[in-house]
Amino acid sequence: MNPVVELTRVSKTFGDIRAVSEASLSVARGDFLTVVGPSGCGKTTLLRMIAGFETPSSGEIRINGDRVDVVPPYRRSIGMVFQKLALFPHMTAAQNIAYPLKMRRFAPRVIPGLVKQYLELVQLGGLGDRRPHELSGGQQQRVAIARALVFSPDLLLLDEPLSALDRKLREEMQLEFRRIQRELAVTTINVTHDQREALVMSDQIVVMDQGVIQQAATPQALYRQPANRFVAHFLGVTTLLDGRVVRVGDDGDVAVQVGDTVLQARGVGQALVTGAPVDCAIRAERIGMAAHGQPGLDNTVDGVVLQRIFEGDRVVYVVRVPALGDAVLSLFDRDADVHETTTEGQSVRLAWQARDLMVFAKQT
Amino acid sequence: MPLTWRFLDTIEALVAALWPARWRGATGWAFLMPALLLVGVLVIGLGYMLEYSLHELNLATYRLRDEYALTNYATFLNRPVYGTVLWRTVLGSVLVTGITLLLAFPYAYVLVRTRVPWVRKALLVTLFLPFFIGQVVRAYGWLIVLGREGLVNSLLTGLGLPAQDLLFHFPAVIFGLVQYMLPFAILLIVPAITAIPEDMERASESLGAPWPATFRHVVLPMAWPGLIGAGVVVFTLTMTDFAMPEILGGGTTDFFASAIYDSFFQISNPGLGAALSMVLVTLGSLIVAAVFALAGPGTLGIRGART
Ligand SMILES: Nc1ncnc2c1ncn2[C@@H]1O[C@H](COP(=O)(O)OP(=O)(O)OP(=O)(O)O)[C@@H](O)[C@H]1O
Ligand SMILES: [Mg+2]
Repeated sequence: MNPVVELTRVSKTFGDIRAVSEASLSVARGDFLTVVGPSGCGKTTLLRMIAGFETPSSGEIRINGDRVDVVPPYRRSIGMVFQKLALFPHMTAAQNIAYPLKMRRFAPRVIPGLVKQYLELVQLGGLGDRRPHELSGGQQQRVAIARALVFSPDLLLLDEPLSALDRKLREEMQLEFRRIQRELAVTTINVTHDQREALVMSDQIVVMDQGVIQQAATPQALYRQPANRFVAHFLGVTTLLDGRVVRVGDDGDVAVQVGDTVLQARGVGQALVTGAPVDCAIRAERIGMAAHGQPGLDNTVDGVVLQRIFEGDRVVYVVRVPALGDAVLSLFDRDADVHETTTEGQSVRLAWQARDLMVFAKQT
Repeated sequence: MPLTWRFLDTIEALVAALWPARWRGATGWAFLMPALLLVGVLVIGLGYMLEYSLHELNLATYRLRDEYALTNYATFLNRPVYGTVLWRTVLGSVLVTGITLLLAFPYAYVLVRTRVPWVRKALLVTLFLPFFIGQVVRAYGWLIVLGREGLVNSLLTGLGLPAQDLLFHFPAVIFGLVQYMLPFAILLIVPAITAIPEDMERASESLGAPWPATFRHVVLPMAWPGLIGAGVVVFTLTMTDFAMPEILGGGTTDFFASAIYDSFFQISNPGLGAALSMVLVTLGSLIVAAVFALAGPGTLGIRGART
């Protein structure tokens, strides 16, 4: 089966700015794909090209197998929820939802039924007569999504519609969007700069930076096997270290020197050569801490606690390690006893397994 | 403490001493006073006008009689010429308003939405340039361009076509007035369009509406308050305009303001002039009130109105 959307080496330049550079991706029918990346990395531009508001400078976009270069937005079967929602203020919620049906020439007798059905789908039954400004932020989101879906588009585009909500409501709406998406099995491309949102909602994630796609994978694969330093750093709480390869073993085993210490590590991505400078990355939850004793893991270093940040369900420690060239590592601890006893300025011993220290060839 | 803080604190203390907190509620009114005074003066002037209009001119002394009479209003009703001029004024104002809005809207739209910097600059300069040229100068400019020996006619004769009488009739006056009103209308419509997020139009398009439908169902309704506001301003300015009809009409197509002027200064009958003024003010107010009533109270974007 054809992918619903397929981008092949799509670029977009605005004057000197390369907003999107050689982006290729495809989304299978019914999938939820999230494009995630820092602000200004080209996410909105990418979505706009798919929706038809911008023409790619080069490359091709196919929807359901057909090239869409010259198809205007109103002829594409795409529902879009905008960053600022763009609900029509002079229409009620129900009129907003009926709008695409009227514009797309649905038979007038089916329109009221569909509007009602979609109001109920987004749990707004009874609020159809309200205007957007008479609805709460979360309710407006629901109207916007109902409006984008009511005409059964082939593709749903979400341009950070949740970014303006407070955290609790945002997390609620993430699950709500996902429920609706599953219920209708609508192919969806979501855009966000929130890594958590990407991990929670998606079947597939595409990580972008400065207009370039860094990696496309499932949430688990992306988190466990980041392709490069950027991806490793973007997802999760990650410490980056500069190192040099001292030995390359088989199965990706490598030894790297960081500061004065040789650490056991795991090579990721490109092949590594002895002597090459590398980026090393380790996630905060992979570092174990023991005030005393030897936990018996592959790597062990001693450090001093610089900062202790209580976050409720966990404590974040920021630890300076002289043996790693005064590198500063972040780690989590959930052990209540250690929480009580470890204070700032105290010496601690850190340890982790070789496979948790990811090593990437330096990007040039 | 930084010096500026101390300075500001001192000012605040002074203000607190001069304007105690329990007067704070009146602060808003205090700022409103100058404007209220100005409007007040206008209302008083209108009162005097009304008073004048109710006295007949004594042709023996050329002063207004003391006793009250409706003679001046009777004169207005009995002389068909006033009816004709008033009708011409209202018709002209409606035409000018309609044409001006039709021309101003696309101008304002392109000015706001264009992505090409030089287009925006050119449109802005062309918009503000006329403001530096007064109405009278502009009218004379048109005389030069459109006159019997003017630019247009030399072009026509150059092409072997007969010269045309372009001046001193109704269309010439309408033309001059539209040209005069256009910048005002554009300036009033621009904010209305700026207030429509571009994503509204994109949303409409992605929902299946080609541009004409988007314009009709989204842009126009959202810009409506601005259009009504601009329309009212253009209409009232045109209703009371004097110079354009006088100069471009050459005395053949006077508007009502000319009739008022003539009563005051040509036939020296302030009573009649005042009565004619009252007629114009009343008619204008009625029309504007009707427009607002029809267009709904939300028209000016006043709070509390449902938009
Ligand atoms: N119409 C435009 N003209 C010129 N430059 C543009 C235009 N649109 C976007 N850009 C530039 O392209 C780059 C990518 O912008 P884009 O809006 O796609 O970022 P984004 O990833 O959506 O960011 P955010 O998360 O802040 O919304 C930015 O550097 C931006 O300045
Ligand atoms: Mg964006």
